[in-house]
Amino acid sequence: MNAAYQLLIEPFRYPFMTRALMELLMLGALAGTVGVLILLRRLAFMTDALTHTVFPGVVIGYLLAGEGGIFAGALVAGMATALLLTALTRHPAVSEDAALAVLLTSFFAVGVVLVSRESGYTADLTAFLFGRILTVTSGQLVQTFAVAGAVLVVLAVLRRPLLVTTFDRIGAQAAGYRVGLLDLVTNGIVALVVVASVRAVGTMLVIALLIVPAATGRVLSDRLPVIAVAAALLGASAGWIGLAVSYDVSLHHGLRLASGATVVLVLIAVYGVALGGGAVWRQLAGRRAAHPGSVHEASVMTGDVGVR
Amino acid sequence: MDGESWNAGGAGRRAIATPLPSPVLELDGVQVAYGSVPALEGVEGTVAAGEAVALIGPNGAGKSTLIKAVLGLVPLAGGRIRVLGTSPQQARREVAYVPQQDTLDPQFPVSVSQVVLMGRYRQIGWLRRPSAVDRQATADALEQVGLAERARDRFGTLSGGQRQRVLLARAIAAQPRLLLLDEPFNGVDAVSEQALLDAIAGLKQSGSAVVMATHDLALAHLACEEVCLLNRRQFGFGPPQATLTPERLRATYGGHALELRGDRVIVAHA
Amino acid sequence: MQLSAREAMVCWGRQGSAIRAAVVLASALMLLGLAACGPSDSSTTGGTGLSGAEGGGAKLRVVATTTQVADFARNIGGDRVEVTQILKPNVDPHDYEPSPADVQAVADADVVVDNGVGLERWLDQLISASGFDGAVTDTSTGLQIRHGDGGEEEAAGDPHIWHNPQNALIMCRTIAAAFSNADRADATYFAARLATYMAQLTALDTWISQQIDSIPAEQRKLVTNHDALGYYIDRYHLTFVGSIIPSFDTSAELSGKQLNDLVAKIKSTGVRAIFSESSLPPKTAEAIGRRAGVRVEAGADSLYGDTLGPAGSSGATYLDMERHNTTTIVTALKG
Repeated sequence: MNAAYQLLIEPFRYPFMTRALMELLMLGALAGTVGVLILLRRLAFMTDALTHTVFPGVVIGYLLAGEGGIFAGALVAGMATALLLTALTRHPAVSEDAALAVLLTSFFAVGVVLVSRESGYTADLTAFLFGRILTVTSGQLVQTFAVAGAVLVVLAVLRRPLLVTTFDRIGAQAAGYRVGLLDLVTNGIVALVVVASVRAVGTMLVIALLIVPAATGRVLSDRLPVIAVAAALLGASAGWIGLAVSYDVSLHHGLRLASGATVVLVLIAVYGVALGGGAVWRQLAGRRAAHPGSVHEASVMTGDVGVR
Repeated sequence: MDGESWNAGGAGRRAIATPLPSPVLELDGVQVAYGSVPALEGVEGTVAAGEAVALIGPNGAGKSTLIKAVLGLVPLAGGRIRVLGTSPQQARREVAYVPQQDTLDPQFPVSVSQVVLMGRYRQIGWLRRPSAVDRQATADALEQVGLAERARDRFGTLSGGQRQRVLLARAIAAQPRLLLLDEPFNGVDAVSEQALLDAIAGLKQSGSAVVMATHDLALAHLACEEVCLLNRRQFGFGPPQATLTPERLRATYGGHALELRGDRVIVAHA
Repeated sequence: MQLSAREAMVCWGRQGSAIRAAVVLASALMLLGLAACGPSDSSTTGGTGLSGAEGGGAKLRVVATTTQVADFARNIGGDRVEVTQILKPNVDPHDYEPSPADVQAVADADVVVDNGVGLERWLDQLISASGFDGAVTDTSTGLQIRHGDGGEEEAAGDPHIWHNPQNALIMCRTIAAAFSNADRADATYFAARLATYMAQLTALDTWISQQIDSIPAEQRKLVTNHDALGYYIDRYHLTFVGSIIPSFDTSAELSGKQLNDLVAKIKSTGVRAIFSESSLPPKTAEAIGRRAGVRVEAGADSLYGDTLGPAGSSGATYLDMERHNTTTIVTALKG
């Protein structure tokens, strides 16, 4: 028990650690929740593209206005991407994969060119790609809280239209839902979360924070509300544990582990446990007996268990 | 649902409900084009309350296009469509659509009753909690398709035919005056097929009009008061007995070999 | 059917669950926030001196940024200080990313010593994150700063101030003053240690001058691409002949023409040795040496430019470093 306290509570008597923890808790919960949306709408590739396209925005923002410019620059780039993607994918001749790949690579290349023109760029590049959690300011915390609040409110208000359009796009269109507009809102939300996370965990690791908690939640449950809550809790907990571990290792063992990376490793470990544990749970619980009178196709039975 | 028997070879029974003064659906010289390419033209006909019409034709004939037009999702290049006396867009609240179940993701984490509840969302709105009325309508709709005991199961764990029934229940829960179905019997097992037919009949009894696109001529014969033959243009609109003649069918399907076996018409596709 | 544990969770989660979860999460976070953003407690920040440590109490907690100023701090502070050094040997100061241990060390520090002249760009953020509210001891105070090489990193001037032992004297005085300020009880102790070390620095300065003087006047040219030796060169009146040797990519080989050009240029200077900061490809080094008739001193270990060497190397302390550099240069140039 003492060891657990030492690891999980003790570091946070320092204000800088508490701020880092607050940031990761908020981002973890936010990214976990939005990740469910990404998972269900099959937006993983688009999200990955977004993490690359905000990069030049980050660089330009930093060049123009220093640390404070990163958020604004990423925001502009993120919104531009969301708009471009929504517009491009509505065109029947443009395959979504191709459009994403082109945007992703071109934007990222612009970012790299911009960064490499500066002579002392390595540290900044590392910070953009992998984040800087230890120097999070109270101002940043407020910004993150505002973003998280706004996104959660929008998700709560639009939960039914989002559910319907995600589950049955054609049916939703028929019922008069504005599917195009909801696509734009979704893309915008994802862009906003990527932007909010970039400073703390970096562009390369945001994708993990967005996808893995939701994927783990999906393994653990079939019920959407449970998945969403689980994803939020998992994201937040991974943030906590990852930060605590990287701090402990740095202080007591002299090793330098980037906190963003430890958070991701914790996420992956939990996912692995969930996959393994989920399979065992299902075996132990037994499966629902075939209902008398209804017809089961063989594929339904096998589809209910095993790797998702 | 019980007490009604379908006469093999006979005409479908007329709905018991009193027909409303104006038809639920009026198609008047309907023309649809995608850009400059005409997809449909010359579609004429009316559907009264309590009646069902089958849209029959080969793949690519324009059946889905016509359904989309009735839903107000594609603009008309000519003619007009009237749903309950107004435009399709304005009548949307009274119209329900049942897509083919294989367009949906079987892994989606949603239960059968949640899918049916989606049919009530228009009434419930974005923020209000579902009321007792909503829950009752959901339960009743599931009852009508014979799947009440599967309410808590994940949608994807049901068979194809059962899922189709759930989608019909979703539409029923909305209590629509006009029901549109896109190939509802495709890949559906016999038990589910019967359940679908029974539920559709129940809807007609309570005064709804039904439009269904289908390949199955026999079912069209049995379940519908009228059929509409389509292949980019209309080849006939009227009671099945009169309209599903070999000549018209040959014209619709492009002159391929045709056989009549009892009440089943076999059409050889290209 | 589903297991009852799951069902219980589901029953809770079913109604308006998204809203409910968001509210619960938000409240929890706000409570945590109120706890965290409270006034920083006294155990975490230092910076205003040891109030309860008058003579014979706890050691002065010092954080030093570079290897050089850390060495000075240890020499002056002796056993009355506990020095935490941020940059390890051979770590580039420009690209440094502070670790949690670094931030914690600064948070707990009484005195923070840095090199200054824009060398530690990351220090400001580190200080503000840690909550350290004392003044940073800038050891470049009072020094004559050379112009930088015009690049982004040297906008404030050439930061390699320590290579001139006379500068080192001033830097050490600054450090001693800071220590005495923070720990008045030990002021005498620090003064004594300062005097001892300054004597060693002065002796070093004299010795280097003598060594350089022993090189024939026309050979006192430094053909090098090291950018760190500016102050040393100025102090001992050497001539800097730079830009001849390009920075080599360790895997790249020179073309025949490039090699010829380089050899010609080296010969035209008439020097006996060249000094390259980066390691040369072995064949290239050998070819240059043979054809230009010069001694080639290459690689990070031949001359210590930016940082001290690791423990146990010939440049592990400041005094060792300057002696080693001088010996290498003098031996090479005397021929």
